[in-house]
Amino acid sequence: MATTLVSSAGGMLAMLNESHLSLKLHALSNLNNLVDTFWPEISTSLPKIESLHEDEEFDQHQRQLAALLVSKVFYYLGELNDSLSYALGAGPLFDVSEDSDYVHTLLAKAIDEYASLKSKAAESSDESIKVDTRLEAIVERLLDKCIVDGKYQQAMGTAIECRRLDKLEEAITRSDNVQGTLSYCIYVSHSFVNLREYRQEVLRLLVKVFQKLPSPDYLSICQCLMFLDEPEGVASILEKLLRSENKDDSLLAFQIAFDLVENEHQAFLLNVRDRLAAPKSQPLESSQPKPIDTVSTQNVSANEQDDIQMTDGDSSSIVNVPVDPTETMYAERLNKIKGILSGETSIQLTLQFLYSHNKSDLLILKTIKQSVEMRNSVCHSATIYANAIMHAGTTVDTFLRENLDWLSRATNWAKFSATAGLGVIHRGHLQQGRSLMAPYLPQGGAGGGGSPYSEGGALYALGLIHANHGEGIKQFLRDSLRSTTVEVIQHGACLGLGLASLGTADEDIYEEIKNVLYTDSAVAGEAAGISMGLLMVGTGSDKANEMLTYAHETQHEKIIRGLALGIALTVYGREEEADTLIEQMTRDQDPILRYGGMYALALAYRGTANNKAIRQLLHFAVSDVSDDVRRTAVLALGFVLYSDPEQTPRIVSLLSESYNPHVRYGAALAVGISCAGTGLSEAISLLEPLTSDVVDFVRQGALIAMAMVMVQISEASDSRVGTFRRQLEKIILDKHEDTMSKMGAILASGILDAGGRNVTIRLLSKTKHDKIIAVVGLAVFSQFWYWYPLIYFISLSFSPTAFIGLNYDLKSPKFEFLSHAKPSLFEYPKPTTVPTTTSTVKLPTAVLSTSAKAKARAKKAEEQKANAEIASAPDSTSAAPSGGKGKTSGEKDGDSMQVDSPTMEKKSEPEPSFEILTNPARVVPAQEKFIKFLQDSRYVPVKLAPSGFVLLKDLRPTEPEVLALTDTPSSTTSAAGGSATGLQSSSSAMAVDEEPQPPQPFEYTS
Amino acid sequence: MDPKITEVSQLFDRFKASFLRNDYDTCSNLLSQLKVLLTGFKSLPPLFADTPNAVHELTIARDIYEHAVVLSVKIEDQDAFERDFFQLKPYYTDACNRLPPSPQEYPILGLNLLRLLVQNRIAEFHTELELLSSAALENPCIKHAVELEQSFMEGAYNRVLSARQTVPHDTYVYFMDLLAKTVRDEIAGCSEKAYDYLSIKDAKQMLLFSSDQELLEYIKEEHPEWEIKNGSSVFFQKAKESAPCKEIPSLQLINQTLSYARELERIV
Repeated sequence: MATTLVSSAGGMLAMLNESHLSLKLHALSNLNNLVDTFWPEISTSLPKIESLHEDEEFDQHQRQLAALLVSKVFYYLGELNDSLSYALGAGPLFDVSEDSDYVHTLLAKAIDEYASLKSKAAESSDESIKVDTRLEAIVERLLDKCIVDGKYQQAMGTAIECRRLDKLEEAITRSDNVQGTLSYCIYVSHSFVNLREYRQEVLRLLVKVFQKLPSPDYLSICQCLMFLDEPEGVASILEKLLRSENKDDSLLAFQIAFDLVENEHQAFLLNVRDRLAAPKSQPLESSQPKPIDTVSTQNVSANEQDDIQMTDGDSSSIVNVPVDPTETMYAERLNKIKGILSGETSIQLTLQFLYSHNKSDLLILKTIKQSVEMRNSVCHSATIYANAIMHAGTTVDTFLRENLDWLSRATNWAKFSATAGLGVIHRGHLQQGRSLMAPYLPQGGAGGGGSPYSEGGALYALGLIHANHGEGIKQFLRDSLRSTTVEVIQHGACLGLGLASLGTADEDIYEEIKNVLYTDSAVAGEAAGISMGLLMVGTGSDKANEMLTYAHETQHEKIIRGLALGIALTVYGREEEADTLIEQMTRDQDPILRYGGMYALALAYRGTANNKAIRQLLHFAVSDVSDDVRRTAVLALGFVLYSDPEQTPRIVSLLSESYNPHVRYGAALAVGISCAGTGLSEAISLLEPLTSDVVDFVRQGALIAMAMVMVQISEASDSRVGTFRRQLEKIILDKHEDTMSKMGAILASGILDAGGRNVTIRLLSKTKHDKIIAVVGLAVFSQFWYWYPLIYFISLSFSPTAFIGLNYDLKSPKFEFLSHAKPSLFEYPKPTTVPTTTSTVKLPTAVLSTSAKAKARAKKAEEQKANAEIASAPDSTSAAPSGGKGKTSGEKDGDSMQVDSPTMEKKSEPEPSFEILTNPARVVPAQEKFIKFLQDSRYVPVKLAPSGFVLLKDLRPTEPEVLALTDTPSSTTSAAGGSATGLQSSSSAMAVDEEPQPPQPFEYTS
Repeated sequence: MDPKITEVSQLFDRFKASFLRNDYDTCSNLLSQLKVLLTGFKSLPPLFADTPNAVHELTIARDIYEHAVVLSVKIEDQDAFERDFFQLKPYYTDACNRLPPSPQEYPILGLNLLRLLVQNRIAEFHTELELLSSAALENPCIKHAVELEQSFMEGAYNRVLSARQTVPHDTYVYFMDLLAKTVRDEIAGCSEKAYDYLSIKDAKQMLLFSSDQELLEYIKEEHPEWEIKNGSSVFFQKAKESAPCKEIPSLQLINQTLSYARELERIV
């Protein structure tokens, strides 16, 4: 009120010049009240007031008052730095709890200042940077106030930002909902803490706090521990849970294991597995799992399982009979968890899911096949790639089997990739992988008559099948690598070995691959370079320097390129640690090494959205002299930004209009990579004009990127998906289209319907960790610019979009849940219509429409009830309503036709607003938020996750369980792989007695 | 009556007594004591608290500051004048609806205008003027200052000097003397620019000095850089040599051009 009465502060300012101290004080305190209105007037007298602040004659209070006044004036003048320093001088007079703009602004400023000082101090790690104690006091006062007021999230955020872990701990422990705050904290530390080391510190603290809780959230702890790379901690938690009397605890342990597996950290998982204590009375098992070849991996677990089963029933041949029943139980659970940790359980379940839900549309492939010219080998092999991608992980190779003649046109390297394509199709088929590929594999030295191209391809295929789970196949691949001198086979073996032992940093393998590298053969050397990188992924080992040295020595560009990528792979996720190496590479004379430097930047800072990395990449994108480097720099932005896909289109939008086609191409792929599977509208808008670019390879990149963005997006949620599909068809059918863009369109069709329309490209796991394998896969995939066979690496980034509920026995019980959205939003795309009647007859429609499936399911359910007793052995016979064994395509066709007619009638009904899904079900990423679990269901999920592997708690354990039906992809019974079949039936409970025809080993007639 | 007011009134009476005796030292001492005592009154600006004795207190305070201003003129202290005047001002501007107008108001405002003129702070002079009502402008004290300023601006310096004889208040004399000095400085500044040299006679006339002696002293004190040659003319050695040497900033231009070239390269 007082302020309104005076028209000027001139009087008070004049009073400041009085000689008497009490007059000055009077003036100061009055001015302090007036400053909000009269700061412009006061600002002219600032020097005077400042000198009062420094006046020794004044007592403390007056000087602080002067400081406060100056601080306020500076605040109004917008000089926040000065304002802050004077506010600090004001000491207690600066009231943090005051509710004014001035205080709020200055507090924010103080926190910023403090945080930057602290992080600077931490980074330079010397003590020279002294943080102003007054500043510290203010921040502490603020933090305490936040905690007292119950604003824990603010307190935690500020504490993390300011590197005050003590305060962070206090905030967490004092909060009313510790679990909630902890999960918030984990989220914050992943998304906002940029420095890797500091993030680890935070996580370590979190784990510590977690463990103090009475009922710890083991899921989160284990995620943290995984991030910290502490397998011991995880192992001990798992063991504790497994040893618990409570069945639910072991369910939780399984769930943890599945969640860990999802992050694809092979070396870590192996470590955890090896650290799990063996049951006391079974000394035999204490030996750590040794590398064993494919078939026997399954054998071991099978044997172990057998052991326990037999102790229950007939205990004839077992020496070490567990006496203690709890030990028995533990041993049994241990087997299961080891199975999960090795990834085999999830791979097997995924395989079953992908096989049984395969909805790929062979008609699309057929159209492509017919429209591409026979003589055009690029399009021909593109079709083969598209087929492989479309059927990735489904084990369905119908198309290949039906078109053996056509396939035989693939010669030389095309043959290599055609064979390797089988690996993509059978990806994850761990047990039978080797027998499947047997006809093409090099036959023990004797040359077997096979072409080196198909042999090399087969080795590569084995790597793809066993990618990241190569325990079993490693030895075989090593032998093959050692026993050959043909560079094509070496090429395949190197790639295969790299894939199979991804990230294991195995010294022996490294040496062997290095020997291949040192033969200085361009073809083998390139693969060796990549392979070394794959082997050493994310280790940041000094092997990188060795590779760099050789890259300088060799004359072959191919080898340099392979090595450059390999070096980049080694620094995966190392963030700042990699800076020296990146610096070294980006300053190199050789553009290929600079190009590798871009990849190193991309991978070291993957998904961090690190500003420094982005700035560097943008710099190279516009200033490098080599087009390759510029293209890669833009592309690399996609990797850096994938955790924040909304940002990418904005950042590259200018680049996508560059005059330089390479930059445009890079921009397209950057968007494709970072927005993969999101269907982000801005991304599509950015890519759309590029798909009709004037330059053919830009069109190619844009089409592929568009397919990556749109994978699994239904036409109902974005109409542009339909437009894009039609565009692809048009390009493929157009006789005058350039080969490059035609190839892009063919690949795009493959990616769009990847994995039988049941997979998406996902670079982040559900817990927001980066999926190493997926990122590495995409990184190597983007190399297809130079080397087409690397296209197959994209299959590494596919992750199935499934909800798979599992019971204690790790089987899928019948379990229903709700998707609270219109079914049409997320349904499979409609199968393409058959253009002419003649082709209908020939066409095996492996695709059932959704309603057909529902009806089939109803039938299944009936049958199941009848077979309730034998339900523990899910029998795929009952899956097929026709009941026929050895389905022929004709039968399938008829089947789908039957059910199709009722569909037509239903069309007129209004669409329901929800959909009941049955375990295991396809849940696309966009659908996840609509998933609800039914209240009165028999099973309750251990973790409320809308997709992925979810353990289900059985509320009515006494009732007989009804298992959902799963079709297990069968193994081949070809002559070479005969050994596998016998073993398989005894080991897995999923006995398979209905098998599709084994793929005929096809011969090339080159 | 409030003991504080009594105390202030008594002190003020003593102040007035010594003021009449022209005992300025005692006055200054008493004044500063008074000012300190005044800070105890809540009713004074800027608080304007509604205490029962508000009007009385305000009147006394205004009176004290008016005397303080006049005192500062008497002891020829311009800083003190400014200080006291600004402290007095709220009593005129913000307290006018609480107090009967003071008879001293216009003379003091006029004094302040004069002071600004003397210090050649023309901008502030006009700001002050704008704040005055049209009635106030008719007041002889204000009018005097306004007319002075007009003559000053026109360059009719003789009129300025002659106005000394027509001051409306005896306190104005001090400032009028100072004004004469300001005028002379102004003229000196102009002639320096306008002429290369002047004869002593012309200079004397121009600078309104009555004797050569005065002129020479003035030059010695204020413009030692002026040169007197042959005892007959004054040379203004002003900063004519500071003709700007136009050099081409070649290095800067080169750098700029190079950076344009680099930026062009980067257009993507």
